[in-house]
Amino acid sequence: MQFDQLIPYFNANLADVLFYIVTFMSIPLAIGVILDKVIIRSGFMLIGLFGTICSLFLLLQAQFIALAQLMIYAVGITLVVVIALMLTSPKLENANELALDNNKVSSFFLSLAVFFTLFCAIKSESWPIKPELYAMDSVKCIGVQLMTTYAIPFEFASLLLLIALIGAIMIAKHDTSSKVQPETLPNPDNKKNDNPKDLVASKK
Amino acid sequence: MNDNSVSPKTDFTNFLGLSYTIFTAFVAIGYSTGFLQKIYDIQYLDICLFVMMVILGYLAMALKAKVKTIVISGITMSFFILSLHQISLNKYLIFASVLFSIGLYGLTASRNAVRMLMSIELMLNAVNINLVAFANYVDPVELKGQVFAVFVLTVAAAEAAVGLAIVLSIYRFMSSIDMERFKLLRW
Repeated sequence: MQFDQLIPYFNANLADVLFYIVTFMSIPLAIGVILDKVIIRSGFMLIGLFGTICSLFLLLQAQFIALAQLMIYAVGITLVVVIALMLTSPKLENANELALDNNKVSSFFLSLAVFFTLFCAIKSESWPIKPELYAMDSVKCIGVQLMTTYAIPFEFASLLLLIALIGAIMIAKHDTSSKVQPETLPNPDNKKNDNPKDLVASKK
Repeated sequence: MNDNSVSPKTDFTNFLGLSYTIFTAFVAIGYSTGFLQKIYDIQYLDICLFVMMVILGYLAMALKAKVKTIVISGITMSFFILSLHQISLNKYLIFASVLFSIGLYGLTASRNAVRMLMSIELMLNAVNINLVAFANYVDPVELKGQVFAVFVLTVAAAEAAVGLAIVLSIYRFMSSIDMERFKLLRW
């Protein structure tokens, strides 16, 4: 049976079929990111997830956002995450990550309630859809709006990126002079080391 | 987990997971071909099927079935059933809400700090899908949603850099990235 003959049987068009193919790849990848026991594998699953979301953006005719998604998310952020996973020790994570406890059950019902609320809100709404219109040049449209209407947020975004760069370097810098040894930390369970007179004096 | 011998308990869990997967596939096929709508004339049939699949999956997880099989087949087929007879904007919105819920579960349930940051990236991606879908269907001339998606991308990059730097410095201090052991800021 040809593929074109199969489509009217399911009463769908080609965009919906492509949408379901992409989402059936991306939902197991997203679950794998959350639930995989080996955390470095979930870091690499993030690349595939962002790639499928990039193809969703291509289905939505957002070519510039799709390319930015590939360049920033699937390469940049995932690389930073994987490097952080390699610098930290994933073996320290508890082995029974998949085991059910009260925290996991409560968060499962929380996310279920959030999804059900969002679904009912989406289904009951009637959106003003304009299917006959489309942008001639989406990149030009975005660029003109970034330079005219949204010029000040654009400048603030560059300032935010600069501040985040400097702040990340400042935080992650290995400063040996001000490092406190973990043995000299005051034990929070042992309250007799705390002198309340010192606390009052420091507040004044 | 590492032993190769097949115990009766693994047989049972495999049977439970496989039967749940086949059941969800049959329900999805019956819903997509209009077979279930002819039998059961219920107004909110998709929501009824979704609630039934969630309850069955929770029962199977309580009976120690394979967690990943249950979760993947249940969520994928529930998404398929819930979004099938909607308009195509609603399909994207429902997919984004599924991603958002998965990210919310990972944010609240996981104990690894890096995995929590990954979940935050997932939730930001869901928001991006919402913005781009609205830009395509509701505002297709000015494309303001794509402009906001660019801003979300920059904020996500800054958040990832600073968050992972904080995780690295905490790891250097505590030799652990377990969220249960971060008790430095207890007051």
